[in-house]
Amino acid sequence: MNGTQRRGTRLTDTSLRFTFDGREYCGQVGDTAASALLASGVRAMGRSVKYRRLRGVLAAGPEEPNALFTVGTSPAVIPNVYAPQLELRDGMVLKSQNRWPSLKYDVASLLQVGSGFFGAGFYYKTFIWPSWHRWEATIRALAGLGEAPGTCELPPPAVEHFSCDVLVAGAGAAGLAAARAAARAGARVVLCEREPVCGGELEFEFATIEGRPALAWVDATLVELASLGVRVLTDTTLVGGTGGEYVAHHEPGGVPGANSVYKIRPVAFVIAMGAVERPIAFINNDLPGVMLLGAAERFLARYGVMVGSNLVLFANHDRVYAAATRLASAGMRVCAVVDIRDSGALGAEATAQRATLAQGGTECLLGYAVISAAGGSHVRRAIVAPLASPSATRVIACDVVLVSGGWGPSAHAGLQEGGTTRYEEGLAAFVAMDQPEGRENAGAANGLLELPRVLIDGAGAGTRGARRAGADGDPGATPIASGDPAPRLVPFWRSPADRAGEKRQFIDYQNDVNVADLRATLEEGFVDIEHVKRYTALGFGTDQGRIGGLLGAAILAELRGEPLKDVGTSRLRPPYHSVTMSSLAGLRVGARLRPMRRTPLHDWHLANGGVLEPMDLWMRTRYYRQNGPAVFEAGIAEAQRVRTSGGIVDGSTLGKIEVAGPNAAVFLDSLYLNKASTIKVGRSKYMVNLREDGMVLDDGIVLRLADDRFIATTSSGHGGHMLSHFEHYRDTEWSGRGVTVTDVTESWGVIVVAGPQSRTVLHSVLGAAWQPVLDTLTHMAFARGAFGGQDLTVLRASFSGELAFELHCRPSITVALWEALIAAGFKPYGLEALDILRVEKGYLVSSELNGETTPFDLCMDGLVKLGNPCVGRDLLDRPAFHESDRPRLVGVRALDGKAIFYGGAQLTTAEQPNRPCGYVTSSVYSPTLGEWVGLALVSRKQPEGAVLDCRDPVRIGDCRVRLTSMVHYDPTGERMKS
Amino acid sequence: MTRLTCPFCGPRELREFEFHKTLPEPGSTPYARVYERVNRLDDSLEHWQHVQGCRGWLLVRRNPSSGAVLETVILGGGAQ
Amino acid sequence: MTGPTPHYSALALLRARLAGGGFWRPLWTGRLLKQAYDVVVVGAGGHGLATAFHLARDHGLKVAVLEKRLVGYGNVGRNTTIVRSNYLLPENHYFYEDSLRRWETLSKDLNYNVMYSPRGVVDLALSDGDMIGAARRGNAMRLAGIDCEMMDRAALDRFCPELVASRDRRFPIFGALVQHRGGTVRHDAVAWGYARAATALGVDIIEDCEVTGLRTAAGVATGVETVKGYVQANRVLFATAGHTGMIGTMLGVTLPIETHLLQAMVTEPIKPMLNTVLVYVHPGHGETYLLQSDKGGLVMGGYLDGFPSYTREGQWSRMEDVVQGAIAMLPQAAGVKIVRQWAGINDMTMDGSPIIDRLRYDNVFLNAGWCYGGFKTIPASGAACAKLVASGTAPDLIKAYRLSRFETGHMLDERGGGPFPVRL
Repeated sequence: MNGTQRRGTRLTDTSLRFTFDGREYCGQVGDTAASALLASGVRAMGRSVKYRRLRGVLAAGPEEPNALFTVGTSPAVIPNVYAPQLELRDGMVLKSQNRWPSLKYDVASLLQVGSGFFGAGFYYKTFIWPSWHRWEATIRALAGLGEAPGTCELPPPAVEHFSCDVLVAGAGAAGLAAARAAARAGARVVLCEREPVCGGELEFEFATIEGRPALAWVDATLVELASLGVRVLTDTTLVGGTGGEYVAHHEPGGVPGANSVYKIRPVAFVIAMGAVERPIAFINNDLPGVMLLGAAERFLARYGVMVGSNLVLFANHDRVYAAATRLASAGMRVCAVVDIRDSGALGAEATAQRATLAQGGTECLLGYAVISAAGGSHVRRAIVAPLASPSATRVIACDVVLVSGGWGPSAHAGLQEGGTTRYEEGLAAFVAMDQPEGRENAGAANGLLELPRVLIDGAGAGTRGARRAGADGDPGATPIASGDPAPRLVPFWRSPADRAGEKRQFIDYQNDVNVADLRATLEEGFVDIEHVKRYTALGFGTDQGRIGGLLGAAILAELRGEPLKDVGTSRLRPPYHSVTMSSLAGLRVGARLRPMRRTPLHDWHLANGGVLEPMDLWMRTRYYRQNGPAVFEAGIAEAQRVRTSGGIVDGSTLGKIEVAGPNAAVFLDSLYLNKASTIKVGRSKYMVNLREDGMVLDDGIVLRLADDRFIATTSSGHGGHMLSHFEHYRDTEWSGRGVTVTDVTESWGVIVVAGPQSRTVLHSVLGAAWQPVLDTLTHMAFARGAFGGQDLTVLRASFSGELAFELHCRPSITVALWEALIAAGFKPYGLEALDILRVEKGYLVSSELNGETTPFDLCMDGLVKLGNPCVGRDLLDRPAFHESDRPRLVGVRALDGKAIFYGGAQLTTAEQPNRPCGYVTSSVYSPTLGEWVGLALVSRKQPEGAVLDCRDPVRIGDCRVRLTSMVHYDPTGERMKS
Repeated sequence: MTRLTCPFCGPRELREFEFHKTLPEPGSTPYARVYERVNRLDDSLEHWQHVQGCRGWLLVRRNPSSGAVLETVILGGGAQ
Repeated sequence: MTGPTPHYSALALLRARLAGGGFWRPLWTGRLLKQAYDVVVVGAGGHGLATAFHLARDHGLKVAVLEKRLVGYGNVGRNTTIVRSNYLLPENHYFYEDSLRRWETLSKDLNYNVMYSPRGVVDLALSDGDMIGAARRGNAMRLAGIDCEMMDRAALDRFCPELVASRDRRFPIFGALVQHRGGTVRHDAVAWGYARAATALGVDIIEDCEVTGLRTAAGVATGVETVKGYVQANRVLFATAGHTGMIGTMLGVTLPIETHLLQAMVTEPIKPMLNTVLVYVHPGHGETYLLQSDKGGLVMGGYLDGFPSYTREGQWSRMEDVVQGAIAMLPQAAGVKIVRQWAGINDMTMDGSPIIDRLRYDNVFLNAGWCYGGFKTIPASGAACAKLVASGTAPDLIKAYRLSRFETGHMLDERGGGPFPVRL
């Protein structure tokens, strides 16, 4: 450890090492990257985006626009970490940004030479030839801040939801007073603080509260809050929220890692998030060594860092004298205090402090401004001049210029709902007003800067919040305090400069927006602050205008010759502070992006070679590995086996809705094209229903269990939608009562047993009791009984064209039944084989029921002719649905019987080769027929037998096909009925 | 607006609900019932479902400019 | 203040630098509202401005654009800047392709760099069914002469190596439909470029000029009432995006439009990590489109908020959904920070396609219902809509966008979702 240990409220004596741009540095545990580097004499910490100007630390909070580091080693880096927030850990690897090859020597900094050329919006006027895209890669490489991460292994955040009576954001003087008053009154209070420590400005202000030094009062208050059960969340920023729910983001150490997200529902909300200090624009106000006054004070108090040895302070208010006194007493030489005001503007306390400073050798200039900062890579001189004659400049040697132009209340907090702002003359800033019920700003966030008033405001807000929540206890006495005097601020935004100098009077540091940009922007007619923002990128940096937003608006007002209150500021958008994507995503990342629905056989499939793929939220088996090297071969093998002997498939994903009650049958009649009321008990029917606009919504088999009880099956993945559809009609259009609708999808596992030997296999598995049933069950009939002591329904229905039975069994016996079927000699098949079997037979799935097809398109004219006045029936008469080129479902096969064609191929005629007359919805290689067969939706103008071009330029090219019957296999259905 | 009050279940997170449609003027034709939407800036009459709760269908009157919920009625008498 | 803007070029920048100030001119401000126009366009968004530009340039008409707030303050400046023509239906893809062709030359046509960046739009397919759907769309496009490429997983990994970093995906990526000429355009520049070009052609663009009513006589419109007084107009076009419902109310027409909120968000800038536009639609109400802006921010958006809103206040939970999708595609971006979220108000029609047609009166026209597709169609819409307004007859390119199509059953429903903008 070189040198002596620093002392600060946040520091410990333990030292640590880290590297910055490859060089090793020492710090102390508790240090931030900014404090340790400043303490090591490092000034330059980054470069700006546009002109690549060398930049140092400006601020001590997350509004820091310059010192953003990339943390870690490629490719696992975290970019753009705010150095003043980044708490060091031993061995940390940090890199500066926006420079190549090094921070000191940057090739692109030559762009500065062209700064007059590259003014606001220059890119709209050039790079037109030969094309923007030709320039883009170069420009993109120059733009951007931190290194792009190549990998990221962040753990998901902890997400916590809770409610409370009073939520206080900000644990400075106002926030602590608010939390204490509310808690004493009996409210349940949560206090969020962005920083790792509480106290805010009390950390350095000359203040006494309730007879104690400020920091002692902070400690005592925190002890009391703990005893009152107040939850204090440090390192936690309130980032947004609407409608009474607020979101707080906990990112300890200022770098993503052990993050948490809190979703808080308070009865009352107190915003005590303080105010952000703003700079004054002067020439070269971005040189490393120019820093906000409050930042220097924070670095001193919290980290024992002296930001320089010869300081010039530049401000427009009384607080600068108190600050100068503190900095001087810490051992820094305050060369000069440059105050733009006249002596008459100073208050008594400031006048006294000024006199003491002058005695100590500080030059105290009134009516002066810092015109520019100078020095090569960092501040070496300040050039000052009286405002009355700005050309009468003088040079003051120094290594730091500390600037303070006033404070902007953190009024909006990223909250979108309600509230407006008003301009406060004395503060030269906008404060919140007309806040929604139950929300108020307090302290500096409310535009108050004197400690006694801040505490009264905070305590008042806390008490009102507690009362709102019904806590009527005694909030206790309002803390009595003394602190820094009223600032007596005189608005001042920029020092005098000629036109050339305005190019180096920076407003928004990160994006290099300067006064000249605003002037040029006005010249081009961009007058409104919203236009100026978009044209110059003012406020688009990572600080979202926190540093430069108001300053820019004020200078725009000056240039427009209008008052600032009329110019206003641009609309702030959430989040209030940047939020790590990982924290926003919460737990829904990786395999947990969405819940996974598993059938009762899920684990069995996985353990037995099943290749599972997502289908909606379900996982379904596409094929089994042991049946072929890949899906194509395995699918064929599995399908062939079903046709020759048989097989079983997991159909549990089928949606199942139980509809019961005296009016169940008529209710279903109103939802389907064909009638449920004519189904006999113990039998089922293939039924089709329509969407409100007449398109086919879904199909399925409806089973009548009893006079007043049905089970309607739906397509897999359609169950949820169909259930809502049923419930909607039950609760709205359906005027009759006496119907219940219950989702029983997961109450039944479904095993389909298909193939010529399926009856035989079932005989052996289900036992003698089922034998007569199985032998007499006709097509579309079902029987109910038991297996293994649990309910079992056996429905004779086929989706494969073979003799087949659907076994609806309780999930608890599904695996046992499945394994019994396997033991009896049947092997499982997957979706691929299922698809082969159904396309061979011309059965429909979602490829055909795609929301674009009417029942006429799907050859269901017969069902429509039944005349059942169901949902969607009304709109089927629209002329478009009966035009001659509406599509109709047909079969399709290669003309030569050999060519391959896929679903998604477009069909054209020789006459109109670029205008499809249809497309292939599904296709499979039929092992039974030895060729590719498919289904297609084709214009009715094309009759069966027509020959069309099958166009698939994006995959395998073209072939010729002929339209056939939809049913490619066993057209009479003998096998199914055998 | 982050919550809706289901007359059956009480105030619940908006995520539990699913908006269905804004309602047409009463007495509309079948075509209008399906296709036309009344867009009033301050008063929207809508069907929602408490999908992840009681699954009841709700008639909700809201002010779409402020997000304020003016009235919530459960349709069809709720669960039967 | 009213002189024309100089021709933009690198040379002009140099001359401006030498002049040291006073060289540039306002792009559109400084015009005064006249008493009468051939056409009054209501709304100075992308469609209104582009239509005004074409009315003046192609048809020689005297045009005013009346804007309630500011030029380009609506959705033209609030979208995710994606342009593409990868649509399935011929009625859509020919129109969107017309637009994409115009994007390719727009910077030169307007002498304003709108930064068309053909970096490719990658529609990821997450199942075999998605692959078939993508092929169906891709084949239809190719037959219409529109570029696109179907990629399997291996080809996709070569084209977009950023995707390789992903592990442990809930929904695996099977492949993609890629349109290489699709990409991005700098959104604000489109509004400003059209406003400048229209102004140069004599169009009066009047900001802070809300239209409060339509004056009619004998069944035709005669002009509009505004907060700045009455303006006579031979024809009136409404192009007011999310506020079309209000226009309907003003004219006593109920439209097949529902108003919804659509969010977008952006991260802090980072060095290039994504060189194309990714679109990821997954089961369980998930959708994210993701790109990296030229400034370096990851820009993303997703589904509508899910219920009608005029608030421009997006639901926090939808922001979470979108970010989840972004991380599902690029898990390496999980440590990057979102700095800003915003929202626009979208007209959602009952089939997802726009409406460009007469509205109630013979000389009143509507350009509305852009759903998710408004920004990318601005150049085509401007040209075609100007033809409709100028001639009274819709050109073939937009004939299908007639208002009566719902009554006749000629919906243009790309996704087969039916008359439910938020149903998935």
